[in-house]
Amino acid sequence: MVTLVIPCNAEDINAQKLLEQVDDNLWANTKFISGRLIIDNGRKVRTLTQDSWMEGVTRAYSHYKSPAREKGTKMLKIGGKLWMYTPRTDRKILIAGHLLRQSMMGSDLSYEDQMEDHKLSHSYSATLEGSEEFSGTNCAVLHLVARDKETTYQTRKVWINPENQTVLKEERFAKSGKLLKRIEFKDYEKIKTRLFPRTLVFRDMLKENTQTTYKFDVIEFDIEIPAKYFSQSILKR
Amino acid sequence: MNWGIAAKNFYRQGLRAFLNVLVAALSIIALVFMLSLLNGFQAQATRNLVSTDVGGGHYRAPGFDILTPTEWEDFTISVSEALKGLPDRDKAEVLIQQGQLYPNRRLYPVQLRGIAMDQSLLQLPLAGLKSFENKIGEMIPVVVGVKMARKAHLKKGDTVVLKWRDKGGAVDARDVLIVDVGDIINPRIDDGVVWLRLDHLQAMTDREGEVSWVAVRKYLGSLEGFEFHGIELLMADLLALLRQDRINSKILWGILMVLVCTSVFNTQILNIFKRQKEIGTLMALGMEPQRVVRIFTLEGVLAALWALIIAVVLGVPFFIWFQGVGFDVSHLSEASFPIRETIYPDYQLREILVSVFIVLALIIVSAWLPVKKITRLDPTLALRGRAIT
Repeated sequence: MVTLVIPCNAEDINAQKLLEQVDDNLWANTKFISGRLIIDNGRKVRTLTQDSWMEGVTRAYSHYKSPAREKGTKMLKIGGKLWMYTPRTDRKILIAGHLLRQSMMGSDLSYEDQMEDHKLSHSYSATLEGSEEFSGTNCAVLHLVARDKETTYQTRKVWINPENQTVLKEERFAKSGKLLKRIEFKDYEKIKTRLFPRTLVFRDMLKENTQTTYKFDVIEFDIEIPAKYFSQSILKR
Repeated sequence: MNWGIAAKNFYRQGLRAFLNVLVAALSIIALVFMLSLLNGFQAQATRNLVSTDVGGGHYRAPGFDILTPTEWEDFTISVSEALKGLPDRDKAEVLIQQGQLYPNRRLYPVQLRGIAMDQSLLQLPLAGLKSFENKIGEMIPVVVGVKMARKAHLKKGDTVVLKWRDKGGAVDARDVLIVDVGDIINPRIDDGVVWLRLDHLQAMTDREGEVSWVAVRKYLGSLEGFEFHGIELLMADLLALLRQDRINSKILWGILMVLVCTSVFNTQILNIFKRQKEIGTLMALGMEPQRVVRIFTLEGVLAALWALIIAVVLGVPFFIWFQGVGFDVSHLSEASFPIRETIYPDYQLREILVSVFIVLALIIVSAWLPVKKITRLDPTLALRGRAIT
């Protein structure tokens, strides 16, 4: 883990550098997460449990364990492609192109959000907008502008605790500047040398009373992942 | 002579003959009504599709398929000079994109349909959009159809969030203003469709000058870079449906004919059974059996002719009245038929004449079939009433 000199004043903060530090904290070579996806659509709350294995930013494999309806569903991301296997149909389908923009299992996340595979510091130019208190923490507020026109969210805003380089809140905007999504990063916990949020709360700001909470029950970094997990042959019963 | 005897015998049958004639007449009326209503349905559905969507065909971006929304954004094309040069009354440029509307903050996937404002080829209630400038202002003006407004709980003057993607894939969202709720007679371009100015949709999606298709009044020949979809192709599903309807109507027609023929056939059998002594007497007096058959068959012909007369007397006023009130098919719009208003029968003289001729021919054959066995009757047995038991 990188040791940092923490700037005391907002004007001392190098926005881009801070964003890189955030990425370094969150991204690992390999990662295993066992967690729950709690989808609240305003009328009903559903909880999905899943195990996920991730390698870098390009490869990920998820296996849904419950509820019965989703049990056995598998998702495999390799590069820009996402395959989904459902035991009910016993088929794997490629979720590509525009299908990636659909809501994932009725949640506030799209498949695209779920498989986001870039480091923010690579895709966005950051500028410091100011400082603001959020959840009792004095945060640096960074304004991120996409480096290319093909990035889904052209602008974002992130609230970062400069003392430990953790993101506490993120907002994603449309080209017009309309707020689309808000994500809160909660329950940070030290895992080995990293600070990692145990809970992520996604809200689609265009919808009413909906939210999707991602709770990470088990997190392991830098683990050995069997090669078969990132092969299409795993997408079967 | 034969006619005189046949007529006398026919009228003597009284109620039996009348019922036969009435059944045949009502069948003719039902047949003409059914065919004409189907013609009217087809004519109106075709006219609605042509005037609101199809025109004389589409010059489309190759590969564009309206049934594959996830690929709409991949198949757009710049309008060629040949199409640009057409007058506004002969072309309508259309851009189709995916969008998501959030009425009452609930997601509603929609088709964004941008159409050139100066076109007059397609008849659409989009006057509300014309008064806006080609540059997008504070809010994006849109028009929705009555059906869409009802389903999404929208009304004129409402503002609602619309989300879409631009050409590069970046997501964008703005407030849109429902400037009008239009009465669109074709439900296929009403339900789930949000209408915009073409220039607005092009600017929103970074697709300046791009369209999904250009509807034209008539085929201009092959144009490089475009795929032409003719009326038959664009209305293939409707035409297939109408073909199936015609098959179904033929089955119904067949059932009606079986009933009519059975009625005539049954009457004739009863006639020769009850009148075998009369048949025997005529034959004993020297009348040739073929002539007796002709007399009995002529009775069938008389039934057919009276059926025709009664059909005209009862049917013509009914058809005239029905042409005035029509047939309400508003319920069909829920099933996405391109017809929503009252339909009126379309009477086609040739079709009616052919159908009536077939009905009359079948009645005459049904009248002849049972009586042809008279030629084999033994007159002495017939005189005693024992020839047919």
